[in-house]
Amino acid sequence: MDLAFHDLKLHKGRFIATVIGVGLLFTIVLAMNGLYRGNIHEGLAVIKATNPDLWVVERQRGGPFNETSTMPEFYHYSVKAIPGVEEASPFIFYTVERQVGDKSRHFSIIGYDVFGGLGGPQQINAGRNIARAHYEMVAHEKLGVKLGDQVPLGLHTYTVVGLTREAISPDGEPIVYLSLPDAQEVLFQRDNEEIRNQRERLSRSLTRSLPRQTAEKLLPSLQADTHIINAILVRLRPGANRAAVARHIESWLYFSTFTTAEETQLMLKGRLAGMTKQLLLFRTLLLIVSVVIISLVIYTFTMEKIRSIAVMKLIGAPNLTIVRLVMEQSMLLTLGAFLFGLILIHNTYHLFPKTLVLVADDDLTTFIVALFGGILASILGLWQALKTQPAMALGG
Amino acid sequence: MEVLRIEGLTKVFGSGRLEVRALEDINLSVAAGDLVALLGPSGSGKTTLLLCTSLILDPTLGKIVFDGETIHQQNGGEGIDIRRIRREKMGFIFQSHNLIPFLTAQQNILFPLSLVGKKGEAAHHRVMELLEYMEITERADYLPALLSGGEQQRVAIARALANNPRLILADEPTASLDTVRGKKVMELLKKIAKENQSAVIVVTHDVRMIEGFDYVYYLKDGHLNHAH
Repeated sequence: MDLAFHDLKLHKGRFIATVIGVGLLFTIVLAMNGLYRGNIHEGLAVIKATNPDLWVVERQRGGPFNETSTMPEFYHYSVKAIPGVEEASPFIFYTVERQVGDKSRHFSIIGYDVFGGLGGPQQINAGRNIARAHYEMVAHEKLGVKLGDQVPLGLHTYTVVGLTREAISPDGEPIVYLSLPDAQEVLFQRDNEEIRNQRERLSRSLTRSLPRQTAEKLLPSLQADTHIINAILVRLRPGANRAAVARHIESWLYFSTFTTAEETQLMLKGRLAGMTKQLLLFRTLLLIVSVVIISLVIYTFTMEKIRSIAVMKLIGAPNLTIVRLVMEQSMLLTLGAFLFGLILIHNTYHLFPKTLVLVADDDLTTFIVALFGGILASILGLWQALKTQPAMALGG
Repeated sequence: MEVLRIEGLTKVFGSGRLEVRALEDINLSVAAGDLVALLGPSGSGKTTLLLCTSLILDPTLGKIVFDGETIHQQNGGEGIDIRRIRREKMGFIFQSHNLIPFLTAQQNILFPLSLVGKKGEAAHHRVMELLEYMEITERADYLPALLSGGEQQRVAIARALANNPRLILADEPTASLDTVRGKKVMELLKKIAKENQSAVIVVTHDVRMIEGFDYVYYLKDGHLNHAH
């Protein structure tokens, strides 16, 4: 006779309410799992989508994503000249907030050599890749633009020629691909007032020590250089020794080099580590809260039945019958709540503003932890049930 | 045939200055079909005697032989599975019915049957037989909360009878019933004792309820006296 089932049938309203309440907690735990995976997925998406053999960055910097790295653009020619290097492409990456349509949007821009260089989008889901040197863009679908849309950035307006889904910035923002000169222009574009002011300041400085005519001649060559990049992406020739090429670049050009795997580790141990630990802590706390709530509910359920348990003992029910009653209720509550949470999160994850990556292994691990928690939660109720004296059944 | 024999049963609670001798050298023999009443004022040790008889409380001294088996004696009687004996050979009736509130009337009767492994059609047949015997067949699917006090007590008696016990222990079974319903319950217990050949020990403090009992004992300050 399934006593637990009969008891829950009588108290089904309260049982369902508890399942929903604890289930919502499990929903948050599963959402945190998804957020944790999503955080890593987003953090590494652009690295994986770009995936060169080597990333060349400013010396002793963990750039270009984990830390800022700046270097003159022309160095990619020097890298390309190193034995074993098949292709070396300039790469620029930065984050902006601009008006797109009628909304102010936060997104990242990647500038790359659109004529056969590395670093561009690997897969276009709609439209085509950038084919002209200027004023074309490929955008991530999350930006909310359509093919053919005109997006003003800085002084110029760019046409959306392609849409992609693969690359999002480590912050989870959509990425926009531009040609390298366009990306540099958008990044370094200053307004006319600032240019006039800077020219005036330089002119004053120079005329203190030089004749006015000489100063006027020198002035154009002293303007700020905008041919700056963040990294050089390297593709090696087949059979080339990656370590040897890396050593060569580091010794001769005084840059740092990373493989894609190392770049991934830099992100995991650097920029993503804090959030990852935070999410782990939240998940642990929420699981503990869930177990405590189940424990208290089962304890209350058990205490309400304490006289019935005494009667069962008095008429000779073995301890196993009592243990089964308490444990089954705890398991049913835990399983019901977990299933509720699982179904809810798998039907709502796409509504979350941040990317949630739900992995079957995570669901299984959470289920095992929840099951163990359910068993743990029933201990308090079991302890109370087993120490109940059958004599309690006697008397008024 | 003797069902229960109690020899020199003594129960002491506490020790030293706090020592309370709840039962003192109790001797009692009950045969199959006997209907025995235990009378006495509150605190006289009636319930303690029931608890010791069913070994819910361990006696301090004495010997208990139940259905030919020594279930307790000084320096002996260990290894007895008293819960098995209780579920297979004893039936309990309580003052406040003590039905399991989340089981229907028939499930309450089925529960002790399930404890001894009786299932399926045979168990169902036994439940229906008992419900008919107690004249509450139409209440079979009712939860205890929907039954009257008298109906609840009849279900409780049916539950106690489920496994054809050798001994029925009833603790104030009429205390929560009015006189008419109380007398009906006592009549039912008399019928059970005679028809089932079960020994029935009823603890009560109400002398109006013991008419027709085979033996009446009076318990005072832990001492048992034969009253008639």
